[in-house]
Amino acid sequence: MNTVSKGVLIALMSSGLALPMAAYAASDPPPTNAELMKQIDMLSKQIEQLKNQVKANEDKTTQDTKTATDTAKKASDKVDDLKRQVVRDEGKAINNWLTIGGDYRFRVDSLGGTTQPFTDVFATFANAQAALQGDFFSNPTGVSRYFGSMGMSTAAALSALSGFSSAMTGARTFDAAMAFLSNPNNRALVQGLGAFAQYTPAYKPQMDTLFTNRFGLDLHAKATEDVTVTARFLAYKIFGAQDDNAIVNGGPGGAAPFFADRVGVFDGTLGHVPSNSYLDVDRAYATWSNIGDEPIWFSVGRRPSTNGAPSNLRLDNPRPGNGGTPSILVDYAFDGMTIGYAPDIDALPGAYAKICYGRGFQSGFRDEPYPTNTVANTDMLGVAVLPIDTDPLRVWTQWNRGFNIFDAPQMYGTYFGNVGPTVDLGNIDWFGAGAMSTIKHVGVGNLNMFFDAATSITHPNHNVSSQFGFMGLMTGQFFQPEDPTSKMGWGIYTGVRYDLPTNTKLGFEYNHGSKNWITFAPAADDMWTSKVGTRGNVYETYVIQELNYKPISSYFSKAFFRLGVQYYDFQYTGSNDWVGAPMPMSAVAGQLMPMTPLKDAYDVYGTFEVKF
Amino acid sequence: MKKTLIATVLLAVVAVSAPTFSGTAFADETKMVGVINKITLAPDGKSAVAVLKDNKTGQDISIFIDDDLTLDKLKDHRIVEGDEIRTKYEPEGEKNHSKSFLKTAGC
Repeated sequence: MNTVSKGVLIALMSSGLALPMAAYAASDPPPTNAELMKQIDMLSKQIEQLKNQVKANEDKTTQDTKTATDTAKKASDKVDDLKRQVVRDEGKAINNWLTIGGDYRFRVDSLGGTTQPFTDVFATFANAQAALQGDFFSNPTGVSRYFGSMGMSTAAALSALSGFSSAMTGARTFDAAMAFLSNPNNRALVQGLGAFAQYTPAYKPQMDTLFTNRFGLDLHAKATEDVTVTARFLAYKIFGAQDDNAIVNGGPGGAAPFFADRVGVFDGTLGHVPSNSYLDVDRAYATWSNIGDEPIWFSVGRRPSTNGAPSNLRLDNPRPGNGGTPSILVDYAFDGMTIGYAPDIDALPGAYAKICYGRGFQSGFRDEPYPTNTVANTDMLGVAVLPIDTDPLRVWTQWNRGFNIFDAPQMYGTYFGNVGPTVDLGNIDWFGAGAMSTIKHVGVGNLNMFFDAATSITHPNHNVSSQFGFMGLMTGQFFQPEDPTSKMGWGIYTGVRYDLPTNTKLGFEYNHGSKNWITFAPAADDMWTSKVGTRGNVYETYVIQELNYKPISSYFSKAFFRLGVQYYDFQYTGSNDWVGAPMPMSAVAGQLMPMTPLKDAYDVYGTFEVKF
Repeated sequence: MKKTLIATVLLAVVAVSAPTFSGTAFADETKMVGVINKITLAPDGKSAVAVLKDNKTGQDISIFIDDDLTLDKLKDHRIVEGDEIRTKYEPEGEKNHSKSFLKTAGC
């Protein structure tokens, strides 16, 4: 204890001791300095003890504070850990990276039409084979009942037919076809086929009720940042059947199909033409977006190239967005890829452009030096530019070219048996443009309008299709080949849909195709044939009534009924068929044809659909 | 004539420098790509605020939207929480005013 403290202490003690000294004063003698010093020492010791106690308490408090601080920090760290875990778990939560949706549709169609008289090619050949075989088996060594005038026996006649068919398949060019038909024996056999002609007079095909089920399942997964995978699976079947015979006019053993895109189901129409209950892959593609932090994307796989704009209106689907193809030009599930760019241009809101490629047919190995596979791959390349894409206005332009167009897609179990590409007939260029608009508050509802136009220009090579009687790319008739020349056709497609506040939507559409119009839209949602490929006129009106129920599974969930009528006025033969030259329907009067020429047709349909 | 010229020059100087003295800052546009965490529509339906998580920084950015086309998409649920958006906005006071608000292009 220092001198000052001692002095203060003595003063305090003195004053404090003054009171007891007052008590002393009365009776005891005052304490001596030694006693005072003794008491001061004692008190000093007590003070020291108090100080130590205070220090100890302070230390304890500090320790407690430190402990409390440590505890708080640990608690805070734990909270941060928990937060990170929550964020991690949120990121892993399935609804953050996987979207599942789909749709179900029940549909009933009542179909009817009127044909023109024609001679069925396939049935004629079948008749000839059956008759010559019968003639041979009944008289193996005798003179042919049908070709005896040519000096043939029954065996020779049967052999000649077989040889004729075999030699036909070897004639793949216009010149080879002309040489084949110029051969006197072949010419005589062609004329002789007349005896077996399956003439089909005009009739009215009718199917009062056709019930179909269609189920679609959609998946969309965010795999990594900027990379997604999208898939759509489709099953589309006819009630009471696991095949497409009802649609294709009977299939094997039936009658000649009406249209080339409804001979059977093939690669790009799976799930879009009713066939069976298999869940087919309609779409499966991966997309890499924001490449280089720019609005550039690359997408590859089975493309979303079906049911594009403006068919979304009558199908009551949302607009396709950046994906999809204009339905007047392409409605086919292509396997291919896209590179796209969506620049941010203030004057052109929503603008984007893309280059698209698709393979329509994979030929396989091309053998050398013993070439047995002479059919090239069929490819499609297109460039689309959409300068504006907003609700009030969407403008599109597109060019696409089909390279090495095959004469027939691969199909099994058709009326013609198993068919497939046997030759490529050349290329086709398409140019199209259109506009769509949604204007809100027109009267009590919203008005949707569209107008699309397109042209097709063929560039035939010198090949002809032997399986189709030497017809070429939009040239020639059966057994009447034509020196291939370029053909140009055009088509328009327009319509409106008025959406009322009662969830009622009223629609009307019209499309027209010229004589030489050809498109690539076999997967269109039409029973007779893809309506946008019609060479003539098609009128369609429909009404959609959505049920006014709160969506649960997603914002776009809904259920609705659709009732519609289509009327087809076919002015030329061969709608949606690029093999052979179109003929005015009024001129069809029994000619040799592979397909049944339908003059007009109607389809009254109703659906109940659920989207989830 | 001289006085008129001086007055004209002074007026021109004031006009050019007016933005400098205005209450609103003359800000650059900012572009970002992010996922929508939250959408809040104003009760009168004339504006909305979307909170986007910036893909690059991870920061939450609030974007003020008042253009009819985008508001329609928000109301129709064609743009919803979880969608990735490419946006362009201008800071205006405390708000980041959307100039462009589109789903990420792709497919």
